[in-house]
Amino acid sequence: MTGIFSLLTQRRGEAGPLAAMARLISWLLVFLAVGGVFTFAFSQLQYGWNWGAIADYRQKLFIGWMTTVAISCVSLCTSLIIGLAAALARRCPFLPVRYTGTLYVELIRGTPLLVQILIFFYVVADAFGIDNRYPVGVLTLSLFAGAYISEIIRAGIESVGESQLESARSIGLTRGQIYRFVIFPQVARQLIPPLAGQFASIIKDSSLLSIIAVSEFTLNAQEVNAYTYSTLESYIPLAVGYLLLTLPISLAGRVLERKYRYAH
Amino acid sequence: MKRLMTRIGVIGLFVCCLTAAIAAAGQEPLRVGMELAYPPFEMTDKSGSPSGISVDLARDLGKALGRPVKIENMAFDGLIPALKTGKIDLIISSMTATGERARSIDFSDPYLQTGLCLLLKKDSPAATIRDLDRLGRTVAVKKGTTGHLYAAKNLKHARLLVLDKEAAAVLEVVQGKADAFIYDQMSVYQNWQRNRATTRAILAPFQKESWAIGIRKGNEPLRRQINDFIRSYRLSGGFDRLGNRYMKEMKQEFKRLGYPFFL
Repeated sequence: MTGIFSLLTQRRGEAGPLAAMARLISWLLVFLAVGGVFTFAFSQLQYGWNWGAIADYRQKLFIGWMTTVAISCVSLCTSLIIGLAAALARRCPFLPVRYTGTLYVELIRGTPLLVQILIFFYVVADAFGIDNRYPVGVLTLSLFAGAYISEIIRAGIESVGESQLESARSIGLTRGQIYRFVIFPQVARQLIPPLAGQFASIIKDSSLLSIIAVSEFTLNAQEVNAYTYSTLESYIPLAVGYLLLTLPISLAGRVLERKYRYAH
Repeated sequence: MKRLMTRIGVIGLFVCCLTAAIAAAGQEPLRVGMELAYPPFEMTDKSGSPSGISVDLARDLGKALGRPVKIENMAFDGLIPALKTGKIDLIISSMTATGERARSIDFSDPYLQTGLCLLLKKDSPAATIRDLDRLGRTVAVKKGTTGHLYAAKNLKHARLLVLDKEAAAVLEVVQGKADAFIYDQMSVYQNWQRNRATTRAILAPFQKESWAIGIRKGNEPLRRQINDFIRSYRLSGGFDRLGNRYMKEMKQEFKRLGYPFFL
């Protein structure tokens, strides 16, 4: 028993065929355990499965999924830009800019996304005569995620010690050069895990845009549920569809993390 | 923290009393599922407890069957799954008895007649549902309602806006983002009354519907009991009383407009 235990215990980065085998077996064990729990739960369920009804709507589900992919891609980029700008704004020596950044982050982080979506679309966008719900939705989502990203970036920047910044200034580097050559190379790797998590959140949070009738993945699955009354058959593909998007982000995050490991 | 403990204590005591009361009644409670978001049928009063026509109907049904009633509040599209998996015993939630739904659950005899009609933006030239089914027209519906199902099946050219909340669908029409909102006569009437400056209503129904109580498939004795109750309740004027208690004004208005009133 202890033999198996020690076989399946290893440090990070151990190499060799035995270590690889141990990893494989461990993954199998975990999948079996989790799979077993769900298989048991589903087998206990009294439910008339009707996958045929869902198959008729696979086109609709696919279009919804593609919409979510598109919304997420644009939101990832804009939220990163907004987050970076807000993080820099909060470190800006000019007070009105700094306080704008602070107010933005506190307002967005302190209120529910649901409320933000409703207010941005039905009040703000309406006042400016913007009727297209897609750009408004994407922008709201980007603003929401941007606040969190700005805090992630700011925390990264502030983890660089004051003495380093002083040394950089003393050898005559400008603000831009300090960010480019001193701060960024050090924090890039640290930022990857929380940013990957935040990006996965953006993808899932995009489902809230359904409340302003943005026809994305979740809304389409709910519609299919309404047409077929096959609740689980509509929502299980939903879970799989989101995993297809969020898992690659986690994986990419891990690869990047490894790549930047010896960057400094 | 102390206050929290007191609160938990009070709630615990309350739950004990409740269980005791139920045990005293000697009957399993009748768990009735509804979405408390559809006044005056399903709503909450100022203190937050369930109220409305469906709630009173459920309570009177419980009295007739000699069983205590427990109202379970849940989202409309969660009602049928909850009934199917045995989390609730009945659905009384202004639910239209459609053929599609009848494949998943059983329905009692209908207790109310209504129909789908239109809430239009004020300057819309449409006179019928057919006028709306054109390219460039936008029609709002509430997700999972019969209006949604009708539009998905019958509107081929108009753009469909599927919304979670009735209030959001009305707002789409009020702001002119949607040309029309498809919903039942009573809701359309109420929303039109609230937004007379920006909307108009076509209250003549283009599809008639009837509401019924949802029962788990194969529960024939309960279905018979409920049908007996509905029949005697109507004969004894129970539905009229509920209508007068919760929606007297609307009842008179519908009479004036010449639409038959349901309950």
